[in-house]
Amino acid sequence: MSALAAGAAERGLLGAGRLLGQPRILVGGGILLLVALAALLATWIAPHDPLEQDLLHMLSPPMWADGGEAAFPLGTDSLGRCVLSRAIYGARVALIVGIMSALGAMLIGSTLALLGGYFGGRIDRAIGYVVDLWMSFPPVVLSLILLVGVGTGVDKVILAVVLVDWTRFCRVVRADVLVTRRRDYVLAARLIGFSHLRTLLTEVLPAVTPLIITLFSIEMGVAIIVEATLSFIGLSVPPDVTTWGQMLADARGDIQSALWVMLVPVCAIIVTVLGCNLLGDGLRVALDPRLRQRGE
Amino acid sequence: MMLSVTNLTLSAGEQAGAKAGAKAVAVLRDITLSVARGRVLGLVGESGAGKSMVGRLIAGHTPRGFAVTRGQVMFDGRDLLQLAAAERRKLLGRRIAFIPQEPLSSLNPVMTIGQTFDEHLMLLGVASGERAAAIVNHLAAVHLPRPEAMVRRYPHELSGGQCQRVLIAMAFASDPALLIADEPTTALDVVSQTHILALLKEQQRLHQTAVLLITHDLRLAAHVCDEIAVLYAGEQVERGAAREVLGQPCHPYTRALQAANPDVHGSQRQLPALAGQMPGISALSAIAGCRFFARCPQALAACGSEPQLLREVTTGHWVRCAPGCATNPAPVAGDDLQSAAWSAPVGDWNSPPLVELQEVTLSYTARWGAFGQRKLVSHAVNKLSLRIQPGEFVGIVGESGSGKSSIARLIVGAEAPTAGRINIAGRERIPGDATVARLSRECVQMIFQDPHSALNPRRSVYRLLTQAYELDHTAGSLARKTRPERGAELLADVGLPADALSRYPAQLSGGQKQRVNIGRALCVMPRLLVADEIVSGLDVSVQAQILNLLLELGRRANVALLLISHDLSVVRYLCSRVMVMQAGSIVEEGKTEEVFARPQHPYTQLLLRSVPPADPSIAWPPAPGQKP
Amino acid sequence: MFQLSLAIIVRRLAAAIPTLVLLSLVVFVVLRLLPVDPLAALLPPSATAEDARALRAQLGFDQPIPMQFLIWLWEAVRGNLGNSINFHQPVTSLIGAAMPATIELALVALAIALAISVPGGALAFVLHQRARETAADLTVTLLQSIPSFLWALLLIIVFGVLWPVLPFSGRVGQEVVLPGITGFALIDLLITGRLRDWSSALSHLLLPALSLALSFSPMVIRVLRSGLIDAAGEPYVEVARLRGLSETRILWRHMLKNAVLPTITMIGVQFGFLFSGALLVEMIFGFPGVGNLMVQAVKGNDMPLIQGIALLFCVLMLAINTVVDVLYALLNPRLRAP
Repeated sequence: MSALAAGAAERGLLGAGRLLGQPRILVGGGILLLVALAALLATWIAPHDPLEQDLLHMLSPPMWADGGEAAFPLGTDSLGRCVLSRAIYGARVALIVGIMSALGAMLIGSTLALLGGYFGGRIDRAIGYVVDLWMSFPPVVLSLILLVGVGTGVDKVILAVVLVDWTRFCRVVRADVLVTRRRDYVLAARLIGFSHLRTLLTEVLPAVTPLIITLFSIEMGVAIIVEATLSFIGLSVPPDVTTWGQMLADARGDIQSALWVMLVPVCAIIVTVLGCNLLGDGLRVALDPRLRQRGE
Repeated sequence: MMLSVTNLTLSAGEQAGAKAGAKAVAVLRDITLSVARGRVLGLVGESGAGKSMVGRLIAGHTPRGFAVTRGQVMFDGRDLLQLAAAERRKLLGRRIAFIPQEPLSSLNPVMTIGQTFDEHLMLLGVASGERAAAIVNHLAAVHLPRPEAMVRRYPHELSGGQCQRVLIAMAFASDPALLIADEPTTALDVVSQTHILALLKEQQRLHQTAVLLITHDLRLAAHVCDEIAVLYAGEQVERGAAREVLGQPCHPYTRALQAANPDVHGSQRQLPALAGQMPGISALSAIAGCRFFARCPQALAACGSEPQLLREVTTGHWVRCAPGCATNPAPVAGDDLQSAAWSAPVGDWNSPPLVELQEVTLSYTARWGAFGQRKLVSHAVNKLSLRIQPGEFVGIVGESGSGKSSIARLIVGAEAPTAGRINIAGRERIPGDATVARLSRECVQMIFQDPHSALNPRRSVYRLLTQAYELDHTAGSLARKTRPERGAELLADVGLPADALSRYPAQLSGGQKQRVNIGRALCVMPRLLVADEIVSGLDVSVQAQILNLLLELGRRANVALLLISHDLSVVRYLCSRVMVMQAGSIVEEGKTEEVFARPQHPYTQLLLRSVPPADPSIAWPPAPGQKP
Repeated sequence: MFQLSLAIIVRRLAAAIPTLVLLSLVVFVVLRLLPVDPLAALLPPSATAEDARALRAQLGFDQPIPMQFLIWLWEAVRGNLGNSINFHQPVTSLIGAAMPATIELALVALAIALAISVPGGALAFVLHQRARETAADLTVTLLQSIPSFLWALLLIIVFGVLWPVLPFSGRVGQEVVLPGITGFALIDLLITGRLRDWSSALSHLLLPALSLALSFSPMVIRVLRSGLIDAAGEPYVEVARLRGLSETRILWRHMLKNAVLPTITMIGVQFGFLFSGALLVEMIFGFPGVGNLMVQAVKGNDMPLIQGIALLFCVLMLAINTVVDVLYALLNPRLRAP
């Protein structure tokens, strides 16, 4: 048995090495780690309270530009709020929405995909119909309608994203389950006497897990974008919560005079989403042997 | 000579070499061969021997990471390796034509036959006004029915054999000087294989083309080719006139290859199986001497350190072997199977049948129309009855689509019959009856066709072999031994090395995977194994190993076997009784020897005619028929 | 071929009706969860409780929800989607006025996206053949991380503020009055021969369409690239090469025809993305389309309008998927088998 354990350990090590050997995973993971740290330590590293208005310093430029001040490293907005502090606090909402929405969409979508793809027949057709029905709506339109119905707040935004984006998991994972389902080892497990549940958990689920992990990472980016969109419209969260989308909406009025106020949240969103996408791409290549071969 | 290849050596370049940490290794070494106008040369070898690589090199496609380090490829007086890529491309499709292995996927699926052919003729410079008529003529020349209609059809609407006819018509459209056919019939059914080979011969004679036929089937090559070159691990081990190589093989590998092939006719004999398998590219760098050394039954000490040279034993017959061996062949050694004790297991006819199918029908329906109405599509199995006795080895032969795989799925319970009864050990299996389902699982197990798909890549060999132990209620037969005990036992039973337990399927060879596949089915000690085409993906020498393993298991564990195969010779070797299936029904049934010696049904006769005979002097394939 | 297209359209239409009814029901129920009273805005401050009840009865809001839905459905079938609460106009006329602008925007965006992605996908594939990790792939990942509304803001910063060459507000210049024949500005101005106004409309369309196209094309490039990689591994490509066809011909005549199939499917599935993007992009550019209307309706809790626009989006999505199905069947002979 020790040989078996050694084999498994070796496989684990190889797996870890493969993950770290992917530059995209390193860069993407690094970005997300930094954003997460900023969000966690916001109280300590942000120079100001994100809502604190300094009416003497309205629209002051970044510290390196003419008239900039060290107290406001990235300048202030039209209400005299510190742009850097707002960006740091904005990461909190972005990450919470990103992680929780992706988690929820993953659980609902993957479960339905596993059930539908594995059992086929009526269950699959019913789930497929609901997915088609859902996908007949442009996704943000559906989120908007949901938010109008249930009201605003971070939890409501998460609910709206989950209820819309589970279909993405369901559709993609189902296709993969169907491929796995046709492999003879699934039939072999059934012929040995494995129950459906056990076959699903020990034979099918491990085969689609890499895909689910990858989708999770990409879904985080999508959720962050949806949150920014909703708060840009002004629907997502109450005004006393700072988000990147809100910062964008506030900065629109001053676009001619104070570009930096807009550029900071723009960059924050792009870099964070890029981190999610890089991580997702890297995981996909590292975890999927077919893609690894062709370097997709 | 139309084509003459001298000392062609292909080496793994920097990429592959750096990985192994060794100097460049010759993947192909000193390949020398030639084909004259109007002659056919067969390039024979098992998968991985490098035979397809030779074909690609002649076309100028050097695989990425490899480089030609030595040799010449002279075609019509010019060295192809020295030509510029554009020059070489001008020869392709015009003077050098190809016939691929998988006809169905070798035609662009979104273009009609006419469009593809038209493009080809346009490249050949046929004027646009003449092309339509020319296409019909070319298609008619390969005996395709209604060529005018064929032009408008898409590849997916044609059978594999028809697609191959189209590709042959395109290949001969330019009246090429050289034709390279890479396993042209491997993907086809036995009957179409015969037709395609006959057509190829006919066209070759008509156009006086030089042909390089790449195949894994030594016997087939001996009938179709004038000369044969045998490759092993990138080396040419034997070359000579086809009849001579098949009739008096000199190299131990050729002899083993020839002997490992079971016969359809003649006296039954035990198959000698070479141990081990051909070394892969990564293993080549570690071999200093003869590449066959490790498996050679008559190796001398010197063979391990010195590479052998090609020697001419008789005029035009070259062998790469030590001088004494080649001219004085020792009898090929078999394995420990006793020839006297050998025969296909007949089984116990005094007991009640193990499995009985009574008037079983399996039909498939598909959803159709806007509202998903069901519609009958086909009867895969039509009112079929059969029985299998304990300990008996039974074979089912038939072409793909004859419904023989459906029988396997019905017997193991992966599919429920549309009508009829299935009795397992005397009890009828009714869907939803858990007791019979469990009884049936302990009685019948399945060995799957494709071990690659049948083994979960995330399970180790140990966890695969003893997967049945993960059940909450293990069968009575399992309770007697612990899981590690049974794992070690099964490993020995299927002849895998002791260190294989902790390996994963990706680390095993094809033959080893098939052994794990068999071992897993044996875990619950079933009384019947259902084996669906389990050796069709294996090379001949590995196939012989697996066949002998099954015979041994049958004798030792008194397990019955239902072997489903398209290969008549394999069925004859293993099975005492055979059933011939066509279109969901059994058309002939009886003792294997009797059925094969005196086939009654025309379909059985057709199948038997499609097998290349062991005697190279018998004319085969039969003259081209008009039937597609 | 025509028969096949017709069969697909008929099948799609048959399936579309229950889909539309079900989706309308979902929207209807969700909107009735609304915590605020949407009618408050309609009443003058001096209104009594009696007035409010009268208004509710007049609008049918005193009925139980299933009944309300049936009334709405019956009216919708007759072409009446009710009146907007905030605009005091029929929903159908509001939507009718805004729809051509959005369709025009989406089609121009799609055209730009295809113009970028087809060469882009082919380039990404060719580079992939040479090296595993290419700059093209990284660029695609970067572009994919920028949603359309950020493109809109970035494009305004570049072409509106830093280098002010293009207009970024409205559909045409303020002095231009659209003739309103088909509702599509580019077509109307062209057939009336007002070329100067036509170029004004085009320049107004450019930035919003580009924002949508830039966020849409990375997805198309990826699918096309991986379709080409799949095709490259197929035997028919090698056989074509062995027939002496040039690499260019193999890529454009043989591989692309196959790689285009998954791309078409993907465009159909992801068209909702384009519409989602249009929401914010129209709002940012002050473009008088359905997306902009939707944002205003949502901000004002204008239930009849939201319900109407939701229905419109579903109809549009179903129409696009029908077109995609027909296209796919026409380009893929394997689906044409009986």
